[in-house]
Order: sequence, then C-alpha cells, then structure tokens
Amino acid sequence: MRVHALGLAALLASGCASIQKERGHAEVTSLVEERLGRKTRWNQGRPEDAEVARHLDTLLAEDLTSDRAVEVALLNNPALQGTYEDLGVSQADMVQAGLLSNPTLEGSIGFPISGRGVSEHEFSLVQSFLDLFTLPLRKRVAQEQFVADTLRVAHETLATAAEVRKTFSEVQARQQLVELRRMVLQAAEAAAELTTRLHEAGNITELDLATERAAAEQARLDLAQEELALVEDREHLNRLLGLWGPRTQWTLSAKLPAVPEEEAALEKLESLAIRQRLDIDAARKQSALLWNALELARSTRFFGRVEVGVHTHRDADGPRLFGPTLSLELPIFDQRQSLIARLEAQHRQGERRLQELSINARSEVRAARARLLSLRLVAERYRRVVLPLREKVVEQSQLQYNAMQLGLFQLLAARREQVEAYRAYLEAVRDYWMAHAELERLVGGRLPGSSAGGAEQPQVPAQPAPPETQPGHGQHRDDGTESPHEHTQD
Amino acid sequence: MSTRKTDTGPDSPSSDALSGEPADSGVQPEGTLTRRSMLARTGATLAGGALLLGGASAQAQADVPGARRPREGSAADTGRRYAKQDWQAPGMPNRDYRPVVVPNGTKLPWKVVDGVKVFHLVAEEVEHELAPGLKALCWGYNGRVHGPTIEVVEGDRFRCYVTNRLPAPTTVHWHGILLPNGMDGVGGLNQKAIAPGETFRYEFTIRQAGTAMYHSHHDEMTQIALGLGGMFVIHPRRPVGPRIDRDFAIMLHEWRIDVGTRRPNPNEMTDFNLLTMNARAFPGTEPLVVRKGERVRIRLGNMSPQDHHPIHLHGYQFRITETDGGRIPEAGQWPETTVLVPVGSTRTIEFVADEPGDWAFHCHMTHHVMNQMGHDFPNMVGVKPGGLDAKVRTLLPGYMTMGQTGMADMGDMGMAVPPNSIPMVGGKGKHDSITMGGMFTVLKVRDQLDGYGDPGWYENPLGTLAVAATGDELRRDGVDVNAPPQVEPGAPENRRRG
Ligand SMILES: [Cu+2]
Repeated sequence: MRVHALGLAALLASGCASIQKERGHAEVTSLVEERLGRKTRWNQGRPEDAEVARHLDTLLAEDLTSDRAVEVALLNNPALQGTYEDLGVSQADMVQAGLLSNPTLEGSIGFPISGRGVSEHEFSLVQSFLDLFTLPLRKRVAQEQFVADTLRVAHETLATAAEVRKTFSEVQARQQLVELRRMVLQAAEAAAELTTRLHEAGNITELDLATERAAAEQARLDLAQEELALVEDREHLNRLLGLWGPRTQWTLSAKLPAVPEEEAALEKLESLAIRQRLDIDAARKQSALLWNALELARSTRFFGRVEVGVHTHRDADGPRLFGPTLSLELPIFDQRQSLIARLEAQHRQGERRLQELSINARSEVRAARARLLSLRLVAERYRRVVLPLREKVVEQSQLQYNAMQLGLFQLLAARREQVEAYRAYLEAVRDYWMAHAELERLVGGRLPGSSAGGAEQPQVPAQPAPPETQPGHGQHRDDGTESPHEHTQD
Repeated sequence: MSTRKTDTGPDSPSSDALSGEPADSGVQPEGTLTRRSMLARTGATLAGGALLLGGASAQAQADVPGARRPREGSAADTGRRYAKQDWQAPGMPNRDYRPVVVPNGTKLPWKVVDGVKVFHLVAEEVEHELAPGLKALCWGYNGRVHGPTIEVVEGDRFRCYVTNRLPAPTTVHWHGILLPNGMDGVGGLNQKAIAPGETFRYEFTIRQAGTAMYHSHHDEMTQIALGLGGMFVIHPRRPVGPRIDRDFAIMLHEWRIDVGTRRPNPNEMTDFNLLTMNARAFPGTEPLVVRKGERVRIRLGNMSPQDHHPIHLHGYQFRITETDGGRIPEAGQWPETTVLVPVGSTRTIEFVADEPGDWAFHCHMTHHVMNQMGHDFPNMVGVKPGGLDAKVRTLLPGYMTMGQTGMADMGDMGMAVPPNSIPMVGGKGKHDSITMGGMFTVLKVRDQLDGYGDPGWYENPLGTLAVAATGDELRRDGVDVNAPPQVEPGAPENRRRG
C-alpha cells in the first residue's frame, strides 16, 4: 500500500502542472518584437493594465506615425486581444494533456437483512494504467498544438500590424488628397468668381457664367466626397486601433513619405517568406503534431484499457481480503484502425496544406513584389518627370498670362492639372506604401534594408488657404462629413 | 543710322555716264530747274550727238539679251520720250539722284562693270531683332531682314546675281518692274527655281521710275512670311516734280511670332501679332528725321501676307504722288492724312515739313499698333477684381488681375514674361509711355539739325502743350467738372453708368 501510495503521489505531481497564462503570450511578444520591433501586450484587466492605458493616451496625444499606430494596435486591437485568449485555451489544453486520469475509488457495504450475520463491505482503488505509457506522447502533442497556436496568434498579430500600416498610409494620403481637392475647389471658385465679375462687367455670356459655376460646384462636391472618404479611412484605422470616445481624436500631420531612393534587395524574398512566415511555421508544426498523434495512436493500438488497483473485501464471517486488481481490455475488435486511418489522412492533409501555403506564399510574394516595383516606377516617373513638367506648365502659363497671351482661366486650368497630377502621384505613393506593407506581411516581417522616406517629397508649390476661408466648406462641417473629432466633444 | 546714305557705288561721274542721256528730252520737268539738272541736260544734249555718231556701239548694246526698247506710253512713263537708246550709262548717286534713306535698313551695294550695275543678293537665314528683346530666325538677304533696298536709276542696266543659301529652292520676283518675261522670277512659270547652293543671274534694263519691291516668288506663303523681300527704288533719270530733300523708303510687313518662340509662323493667316516698318516694331523703329521746311517723300511698300495698312501721318496733310504704277499726274494727286497701302502695293506721299515737332506716323488699324497681342485673353475691361487677386494668389503667388481698364499699362508693369518677347505696347515717350507698338514710328521735324541722327524729344514751346486745366481757368470759363455733361436739346440721350 505504501509503495502504491507513493507511486500515486508521483503520478499526481507529474500531471498537476499549473496553468501559466502568460507563457504563450510572452512567446508571441518575442516573435512579434523580433519581426516588427514593437511589443505587444495582453490586457487582462489587471491593475498594471492601467499603466498600459496611460501609455496608450501618451501615444495618441502626439501625432500618429505608422510605427506608433502599429504599437497602439498591438496593445489595443480588440480582435487581437480576443486571439490572445485563444492562447489561454490552448495552454489549458496543454495542461490537461499532462494530467493523469484520476483514480477511481469504489466501495460497497452490504448489511444482513435477516438480522443475522454481519455487514459486508468492499473497497477498491483503481487507476487506469495506460496513461503512464501515453502521457509523454500526449504531452508532446499538446505542446506542439500550443506552439502552433502561438505561431498562429503571432501571425495574426503581424497581419493586423500590416493592415494598420496600410490603413495608416491610406489616411495619410487621404488627408493630402482632401487638401488637394480644396485647392482644386479654390481654383474653380476663383474661376467662377472671375466669371461672375466678367459677367457683371458685361463681357461674357450667361452660358460661360453657368459653365464655370457648374464646374465650381462639381469641385465642391468632389471635395465633400473626399472628406467623407477621409472620415471612413479614419474610422477604419480607429477600428484597427480599437479606439473610441476621446481617443479617436488623434491627429496625423506627417506627409506621406516619398518612395525610397533605392528598393530593398528583393531577390531572396521568397525564401525569406518560407523561413520566417509564422503561418507557414504553424502549418509545419500542425503537420508534425498530427504525425505525433498518429505515432501515439499506432503505439497504443494493441493496448486496451488497463486498469490496476487495490481491492479490499470482507465477507460475512470471513477474513478481510486485500489484493490488487487488474482489468484489461482485449483489443480484439477495435484496434484503433479507424482513428489511425483518420490521423493518417489528416497528416497527409496537413502536409498538403503546408505545401499549398508555401507555394501560395511564394507566388504572393512575387506578385506583391512586382506590384511594389511597378508602383515605385509610376511614383518615380511622376516625381521626376510629370510633376516638374506640370510645374513648368504653370510657370510658363504665368509668364504667358503676364504677357497677356492667355487669361486667368487657362492659368487656373494649368494649376488644376498640376494639382491633378500631384493627386495621381500621391495615390501612386500611397499604393506603393500599401503594397510595401502587404509585402512585409507576405514576407512575415520587415523588408530587408527598407526604411521609410528617402527622397524629398515634392511640394505642392502653393499652399491652399485654411479651410475656414472656404465658404462652401463650412457647410460640410455642419453636414457631419468633417473629421470624427467633433462627435466626441458632445 | 537713318542717315546712312549711299553705298559702295562709284560717286564720281564720268563722261561715259553722260553719254547715255537721250538726245531729245521732250517734256520739261516741272518745278524749278536746278543747276544740277541744267548741267545734266546740257550733257545729255551733247551725248545725244555722240550717240548718233556711234551707231555701231549702240547696236552692240541692243544685242544684249533682254535689252528692249521702252514701252511708250506705259504707266511708268514719266512723260518724257526716249527715242533710240536701249540702256543708258549708270545713274550716279548725288548726281543723278538723291539717295533714299532707309530707316533701320540698309541698301544693296553695287559696282559698275562695263556700264552695267551689278548687284549680288544672297538669300539666307538671318537672326533678326524685330524690337529690343525680340529676336527671330527669319529668312532674308545679305544678312538683313528685310533685304537691303535696291536703288537704281531709270535707264540703268541692272544685273543681279542671286545666290541661294536657304535650305529650300527660291526665286526673286521684281515686283512691279517692267521686264522681259523670263526675268520675272515666278518659280516654275518663268524659270526653274534656284536650288540651295545655286546662283542665278537676273538682268534687264530699268525702263520706268517709281517705287517697286522684290521678293521671293517660290513657296510664297512660307518665304514671304519669313521675311524674304525688300524695297526697289527707281529714280527717274531726271528729277520729276518739286525737289525732294528727304526721301524715305519703308517696307510694311506683318508676322506671327508667338510669345516665347523665335521663328515666324508662316501658317498664320489672320492672327498676326507683329506689324513692322522695315522689319522693326515700335519701340524698335527709328524716327524719320527732317529739317523744318524740307520737302519729304515717304515711299511705302506693303509686303504683308494678308493686311492692308492705312498709314496715318499726324500734323500734316500730304499728297499721294505715286502708286506702284508710277507717278500720279498732279491733277490726280489727293490730299490725305491717311494713305491706304494695299497688300502688294507701294504708295508714295510727299509733303513739306513746315511744322516742327514729334509727329506720330503709324498704321491706323488699332491692332496693328500692338506687339505680340494675345487674342485669347478674355475681355477684362470693366471687371472689378475685388478680393479675387488675394484669393488667386494663394494658388498662384505671382497673379495680378490685368486689363480691367485696357491694355495701356502693359508696357509699364514690368512683370516677368516669357523669354524673347516684348510687351504688347509701350515705348518711352517724352511725357509718358507711348501706348502703342507695332507699325508705329515718329516723324521728327526740327528747326535745327546736327545731321540726321535722332535729335531726341521735341521741346514744346511755351503754351503749345496740353496740360491739366487749373481751377482758375475752369472758373473763368464757367466749366463745372461735376455737372452732368451738356448736350444740345434734341440730341439722343445716352444712359451713363454712375
Ligand atoms: Cu496695319
């Protein structure tokens, strides 16, 4: 009995692993930090989380940058926090896998009904014995599952970060596009105003007047639409950053950085993706895990249920009996062939999935890289050739205007075309940075040697007047198509 | 400058020169008989005798190809009769004629070879300054645009070599000149065009007097638009009409040179933006300088592709004395202040400059006294910019509303304009800027002259200059500047804008 009791204690100790919630998250944190250079945190409603909230407020008080937005999302994205809870579940599963099944205590007492004789009782303590053999394997499987889950969560974190970067670029570009729309409106309003004055002076027809006014109204509507798009883009970012209430009042003043002078070396991106992408790693782990599960099933195929125990019995008038019990399941019919077959299929499935993922990853990397290079070419062409040409057109138009060869309308039209070219340029740069973020996601980390901002961003030659001077613009504010700041003040 | 007189022709008369004069001079020239014309006539009479004696040499001259007898009674006939001669000894400057003055221009040099006046024209591309600040690649002759003025005397044997250094074939047509058909210079019709690099010879006897022109007659649209033309002045063998003291030759032309470009556009048909006198636009034109009391002749030729020019002279009435057909009989001469010079024509006016001053002399088509005007510029007259300038300046920092009161300010604004362009209007005047450009120049008449260089601005004698009226004057004459202007009863009423 003593020996048995000791053995039981040992079994209990080995199975009763405590649950460490932070363990998986720490792993995620280090994976993410290694790839993004930013820490992520699991908000579990503890006192130290208030510290995190304060940190969030500091982050949001200053102008948002791409990196800062990623940091906010890592700390605050609710979907991400929900995913972190998956790690708890996975961790619990792993602990569960390390526990022995509990021993069974059975007892029975029989009382004489005739009044004669004595009562009879029987006790037994039975422990399923198979666990002793399978436990290490089971633990390994569970551990691998946990690691796979960790990788998956880290991968999702990176994906969120990439989406934050993309959306950040969108917001950044949209702000500038709104500014440009404002300039276009200004040009159109100036032209319309000139037409009004020309008409008042009796120099042009009502047809010309109406045409220019209509153009100005169109520019006003275009601006309203762009402003709405800005609100929508901001809201997208708010969702990704998990922000609401006063925290949505963040500002962003940095202009979209120019396309870097030189592209990061892109030749080895495919192998880099295969090496460092966490979802591929997770699929690899998943496949290994299924193999281990298969091994487990195969190695125990001829084991049925084995139960050992101690047994004490006392018969009426008889001596007290004590002895071991053994209960053995005979694997005659069920030798786990179906379980094994299923696991084999699942393992092959996992292998295929891994293969698919790798092939797709390589292809996606190539496609994203091509897109990046192409957008880079477009943006560079705009920056180096089109924008200087457009600037020259405006400059020369001004000279021709000064020489009274062409009128203000043509001058303003040249300006408008310049602004439109700048707008196309901005969109190309924005798409470049979005493609950049996408490529980072596909490669599973930052691109080698890439850093934001290389060349000077070309300037829009004249700054648009502050929006307050725009008579038409005030209406949009009232219509609620202005930035989302306002609502939180109510 | 404007006093450039004769060129390289020999200036000492030889006895040979006199031998060509007609024996019978027929009708007497009108006006006073000067000592010089008296001498010439005496010489002519003597020479006539010599000619009768030397019939063999006269015959030899008649054998020269192209030499013909004059067309009697032709429009170019100045009234005299030439009985027997073919061509005469070369007429000499300052002896047989007073050379013309070509403001801003030059004259074609010549030499006498065996009694023939030999000229050489070289057609080539020329960088020409149309006005200070505006140069263009034109086509001209002998480094000039327009080509140098050719000056000959009626009866001269004229021989001109034409070398083509243009990239295209060309010809020279002697516009308005009576000559054998094969010398008329219409490419394809009268001759083979002169290919690049070739030199052709034109030769004929001058059998008329008056003002003519010469110009390319091959791919005319291009070559004339690029400037290939010049004046051709023919003096009568003997003076006709009153003695002329200052004889100017001016070729009118129009061009399209877009602001900021440097080659005339020959494709332009109507929207010309540079109107020139001797290929110069005001303020690039040289003044016509004369001494008070001088009899002035101005010969105008119009080589413009499309436009006639009513040229108006201030301060005088003049008589139109010649067309390109020749001299108008005195009975038919019109007093005018404006002479219409149609495309492809010449007109000559004469007057006595008896009123000193700086007198405008210009085309009266108002768009012809503009430089490089942009006709797409919206009509801004009467527009009140208000706050528009400030608003536009946020977009276009250099912007300023222009033209609300017209074009007069253009010359003074000093705003940056494209390279190689000049303001639409504006040359410096004595009292203010002159709000004209293009086909505009000034006739400067002075009591005293130091040569014929620009004497500067005229000093208006006291009391002869319009100035702002003083309050005393207004009160004295009962003029209330604030009262509504008055009209005679019954005049149609105009609504005034207050
Ligand atoms: Cu004119």
